[in-house]
Amino acid sequence: MIEPRRRRLMRVVIHAITVLGLLAVVSLGQLAYRTAPTYATGAAGVGLLLLATSHLLLVREITKRDRTERALHDANRELESFSYSVSHDLRAPLRSIDGFSQALVEDIGDQLPEEALNHLDRIRHATRRMGRLIDDLMALSKVGRAEMSRERVDLSDVAEQVVAELRRQQPARQIAVTIAPGLQATADPPLVRLALQNLIENAWKFTSRRDGSAIEIGQARDGELGPAFFVRDNGAGFDPDYAHKLFGPFQRLHAVSEFPGTGIGLATVQRIVHRHGGRVWAEGKINGGACFYFTLS
Amino acid sequence: MMNEILLVEDNPDDVELTMRAFRKSNIANEIVVARDGVEALDYLFSSGAQTGRPPTLPQVVLLDLKMPRVDGLHVLERIRAHPRTRLLPVVILTSSIEEKDLLNTYSRGANSYIRKPVDFQEFVEAVRQLGLYWLLLNQPPPPSSFTA
Repeated sequence: MIEPRRRRLMRVVIHAITVLGLLAVVSLGQLAYRTAPTYATGAAGVGLLLLATSHLLLVREITKRDRTERALHDANRELESFSYSVSHDLRAPLRSIDGFSQALVEDIGDQLPEEALNHLDRIRHATRRMGRLIDDLMALSKVGRAEMSRERVDLSDVAEQVVAELRRQQPARQIAVTIAPGLQATADPPLVRLALQNLIENAWKFTSRRDGSAIEIGQARDGELGPAFFVRDNGAGFDPDYAHKLFGPFQRLHAVSEFPGTGIGLATVQRIVHRHGGRVWAEGKINGGACFYFTLS
Repeated sequence: MMNEILLVEDNPDDVELTMRAFRKSNIANEIVVARDGVEALDYLFSSGAQTGRPPTLPQVVLLDLKMPRVDGLHVLERIRAHPRTRLLPVVILTSSIEEKDLLNTYSRGANSYIRKPVDFQEFVEAVRQLGLYWLLLNQPPPPSSFTA
């Protein structure tokens, strides 16, 4: 897609080239006319015809792109207002369901049988989960729309910060984290941070049910796809038969009761990596840990 | 200035839940409800259906953004544009955390921005803190600034 300013410039250049071509054909024609009048007139005619045709074709091509781009722009705006309505309007009824369920528990909870209280608890649980789903879905759609820049990013540094935050939130977790020093990438800083955060949080989560948890963040130099960054853990892993499902939104390979989550994290990672023109893939086996690789260009 | 709260909110469930949250937080101030931007402006400027109302102002305005007829952003603009209400504390209370809403409201002089959580317990806690802060802790602008 060519940006509008560049396209305007291209239009000017095309017009200029046509005018120059016109001048060249006319002056060359005049020169040639003195020696071979018939030949010169014919050649000049063909030259003018070629010039006019190419001019028309080029201008038409640019106009076509203009139209496509405007349609794309409209579609994007529509999508934006759609997701705005979703995040605003879908949350309101959820607040009512959660709030009034809670009101029932508070107001007449002592008159309700245990089973009814349990049902109300399930209603509230499901409501809050849907709230999280909506939030995560919005975050995913924002990742696809965000403006991107390319800067030098120290991924080791980012990983350290993410791990420090996780340790602060869950000080009781004993995890050995190894981060290779000096992992450099050229990427959009907030987006690549979000990707790394999702991968490390996953590793953190899926090692929660074993002793001696370990996470390693580094760079693999070999491999057919060239150097790739990786986040490896020795946690619950996954069934490699379903590896293709890992990165789809709302896809989960574990029960929510076992490991909480909405199934949006890896879809977000994939979208970020793809926006950088990179690739993301995973290796793992059940109870044998997982390793997520990604490239950024 | 009266110690009342003006709640501008079109969703009756949210009105009910907000009132409940205030009651649970032992905030006894009178809560005036405006169900859209027009009602809010009528109340603040004693116009329309509120013509002839003595020109008292609430201690704080809790303002939703997405509303029928006149939306929250426009209400905020009108409040800031009028000399009598330009310093009135306005807290945005909405479902949205879209960047453009944060930017638009802060740049038009909103004093605070709170996202209504789905979880009612979190909502009660938010309302409790909000009430504590804006009704007790915060020192309002001097009364003379509201008489222009």
